[in-house]
Amino acid sequence: MGTFTNYFAAIGRSFVTLGDGLAVTLSYMFRKPITIQYPDRTKLPVVSMLPGRSRGILEMEASLCTGCTMCAKQCPIDCIHVEVEKDEETKQRMLTRFDIDAAKCMFCGLCVDACPSGALRHSHEFEGAMYDVGRLWLRFIDKPQAVAKPPKKGAQIITVPLGSIVRKMLYPADRQASSRSGGGSQ
Amino acid sequence: MEFIYNYLSSLELGPWATNILFVIALLVVSAAVFLVALTIAGFLVVVERRVAGRVQSRIGPNRVGPFGVLQWLADGIKLFMKEDLVPAQADGPLFRLAPYLVMVGVFAAFASVPFGMLLIASDLNVGILYILAITSVATVGILMSGWASNNKWSLLGGIRSTAQIVSYEVPAALSVLSVVLIAGTLQMSGTASSPGIISLQGGWPWDWYAFYNPFSLTAFAIYFTSAVAEGNRTPFDLPEAESELVAGFNTEYSGMRFAGFFLAEFANVYLMSAIATTLFFGGWQIPGVSLAAQAASFWLRLVGLGIFVGKAAVLCFVVVWFRWTFPRLRVDQLMSLCYRYLVPIAFVCLAGNAVYLLVIPAGSELDNLIHWVTAGAGGLLVLVLLWRVRFHIKRSGDRINLDLLARGEKGSFDPTVQARPYGKFRRQHNKESA
Amino acid sequence: MSEPTQAGAQREEIVLNMGPHHPSTHGVLRFVVHTDGEIMRKAVPEVGYLHRGLEKLAETQTYAGYMPFTDRVNYLEAMFAEQAYAMAVEALLATEVPPRAEFLRTIACELNRIANHHVTLGCITMDLGAYTPFVYLLREREGINDLIEALCGNRITHNYLRIGGVSYDVDDKWLGQLESYLNHFEPIIDELVALIVGNEILIKRMEDVAVISREDAVAWGLTGPNLRASGQDWDVRRDIPYGAYPQFEFDVPVGPLGRGQAGDCNQRFLVRVEEMRQSCRILRQCLAKLPEGDIKAKVPKMIKAPKGESYASVEGARGEMGCYLVSDGGKNPYRLKWRTGSFSAMSIIEHTSPGLMIADLVALVATLDVIAPECDR
Repeated sequence: MGTFTNYFAAIGRSFVTLGDGLAVTLSYMFRKPITIQYPDRTKLPVVSMLPGRSRGILEMEASLCTGCTMCAKQCPIDCIHVEVEKDEETKQRMLTRFDIDAAKCMFCGLCVDACPSGALRHSHEFEGAMYDVGRLWLRFIDKPQAVAKPPKKGAQIITVPLGSIVRKMLYPADRQASSRSGGGSQ
Repeated sequence: MEFIYNYLSSLELGPWATNILFVIALLVVSAAVFLVALTIAGFLVVVERRVAGRVQSRIGPNRVGPFGVLQWLADGIKLFMKEDLVPAQADGPLFRLAPYLVMVGVFAAFASVPFGMLLIASDLNVGILYILAITSVATVGILMSGWASNNKWSLLGGIRSTAQIVSYEVPAALSVLSVVLIAGTLQMSGTASSPGIISLQGGWPWDWYAFYNPFSLTAFAIYFTSAVAEGNRTPFDLPEAESELVAGFNTEYSGMRFAGFFLAEFANVYLMSAIATTLFFGGWQIPGVSLAAQAASFWLRLVGLGIFVGKAAVLCFVVVWFRWTFPRLRVDQLMSLCYRYLVPIAFVCLAGNAVYLLVIPAGSELDNLIHWVTAGAGGLLVLVLLWRVRFHIKRSGDRINLDLLARGEKGSFDPTVQARPYGKFRRQHNKESA
Repeated sequence: MSEPTQAGAQREEIVLNMGPHHPSTHGVLRFVVHTDGEIMRKAVPEVGYLHRGLEKLAETQTYAGYMPFTDRVNYLEAMFAEQAYAMAVEALLATEVPPRAEFLRTIACELNRIANHHVTLGCITMDLGAYTPFVYLLREREGINDLIEALCGNRITHNYLRIGGVSYDVDDKWLGQLESYLNHFEPIIDELVALIVGNEILIKRMEDVAVISREDAVAWGLTGPNLRASGQDWDVRRDIPYGAYPQFEFDVPVGPLGRGQAGDCNQRFLVRVEEMRQSCRILRQCLAKLPEGDIKAKVPKMIKAPKGESYASVEGARGEMGCYLVSDGGKNPYRLKWRTGSFSAMSIIEHTSPGLMIADLVALVATLDVIAPECDR
């Protein structure tokens, strides 16, 4: 009879499929979990485990900046503020202000693409949670300084470890927490 | 409790003193049972979260206390400190009363749940009937909370839950009836002199009522399914379906009132596992040890306690495992499952058991043979499951890792690998890229 | 409204609010549900809670500067939106994209399709009560997130494509990682099939539930997996070919597959599982045939598209993702309009809802794969 076979077939199907599902979930009890226990039980600081192109908080090496202001022009949300003035005596272009509002930044990378000298780059820092949002207004220039010469075609010289500048700005009283200690560059 | 009463009567202190001392003893024992049940419920919360974590390829709480065992304390303290909200339009007295009713319904049943031989608050001679009856009080509490919350979603949840619990009482009671038919008594634990359901089984698997005959094995399956449904656990957790009703009947509850529902649910999980152990899996019986030997020796009774709690723990694990594997049934499918599948099959099992008891004499060769064959079938099912487990692990290229507590190493990630291939492909890739 | 019953009592309709703040609706969507107990009379969707003005923002951004915003149209399948926008601008500029860039775009898009289906299938099972497959699928998605992070720097909101090509090239190491991910992932699809696809409870929740007929699907403008599940064989990659797709061999899964009739929830589920397999197949062909060359055509630094309009559509994971661009010759677009698959899917919910139960509404919304950012932009 059709209904009887359907009835028992439904019961049989349920047992088999549900049992197989149970076997799959039980099998995961016997596999190693993939959790990485950030931030304190990792082999290395997470910042140094990120791939090279990873886009973290922006940093600017003032000695390399040519003052072209292409980064400020390319930024879709205007979070980079650059001011370049000509010094009256020496007729030298001086970089007087370079501020990045890291709270506004959306990590799109258009500014880094535009920078001709490699002064502006993404570090791998991502821990930007602060109690005061003003701490995320990064001022990279303290006193006016001369702009650098544009580099030869294609040459980008980064002279300090990646992220060291912005790390000092974000975490000035760094207690050398395990996730941030060490050179931590890629 | 009868033991205490008999002892007090034998002291011949006169009716007033005896009764007052008895009432004090009653309160002490109730408090002790309540605390034990609360602790079990709390610990079960941690077990559930850790099992959930391991099943989902992660670790689960492991920071509070060693391996996270004190997580329930942290949760309890947090819930205690939350604001106690009673919605303005809610029905005040009913809203406040509901968690207590649910807790009473669940924790009062612990009075007749055995923990070991002679280790039971009150070995009523109508034990299992009392338990089935008192757990129904929780239904009133759930309906009350759904109505009194003044929230349409809670109302829907409360009504669904009531319909579900009331319906699933039927197959649960029918499958319990199969066992009662075999045992001939409603008493839960029992001793050599006054037989109870556990004392009439034996220690070995083929002496358990689960493997008495294929009908009782089916009765166990039906009882377990119905008990999971009565406890509002997935796959029957529609009343508290998170993705549909936010939290169903306990949406408006916060703080300790919510903790009441929460603990009652987990205590219920243990309760149903303990009852299943009692009825179907031989309780505190030790294989190869007779009742008299166990009654005489304190250490053997301790072993019996361990065995009972261990079996109940395995069943609790199965309930938790079900929750994290199965999707939930829609409410009409739930009802259809109960009335079209479970109830008729439970009746068939009852009739089958009755015929079996009439036709086949207990203790005969044929009887023992059927016990062994059914026990063998049960064991075979378990082995098939374990084989499938190994099959799934091998097919995904993973390795079997027996570190069940997930102690892990400090950091298990190779920084030179940028993507994360897993299992044997990770080792292969490391070799190729090194 | 209340109606008198035969016994003389009044019968009222409950109006429930499945509000914007809800664990099941995918993003902030609101449904006003008129029900008679458990069975619904109708469910009226309300959108707009996630409106961010992306189309208006385009009028204030340069063509190249708008690319990060396209990610946010649908952050789960960001590469498709980027590609639709890039194709629309390239049509106006009449730029030819180099073949290697087309292949890289295809790799990025198909990876994104798999990643998106991870989330969709996970959310379907989670809404129906099984929490574990969601976690497994997210774990698999981490592999893709890591691949894309190594490729372009961000796990979501990639900003990988540029007008004229892509921004970063790949090396053999990355291609090797992609291959090992595919080797790892394809057996996992079988494992997920064992856990979810055959699961009797899930099938009972989704079989013959919320059937959308082929005529209805075409009439209401459904696209993508929803349309194919209803039995209509239409795939933009094959029928209006773009990019590198003419060079690949792949099947287009059309319902009914497995159990259930065409257009029910189970078909929408199965079509997506099969699409993941086909995406893996396309990715392997990409790996085998990747040509050498430039990754970006020469475009001016400040793009001023000539006056005109263009429409480019791609086969997104949720349906046809189209970008309609009107330019007046300046450096900002004059008007940008997004055509998304979820918006049409939202519109059919009110039509399909009468007679469903509330639990079925959840299954319907989950399998139609409606998400708020695409509806509201």
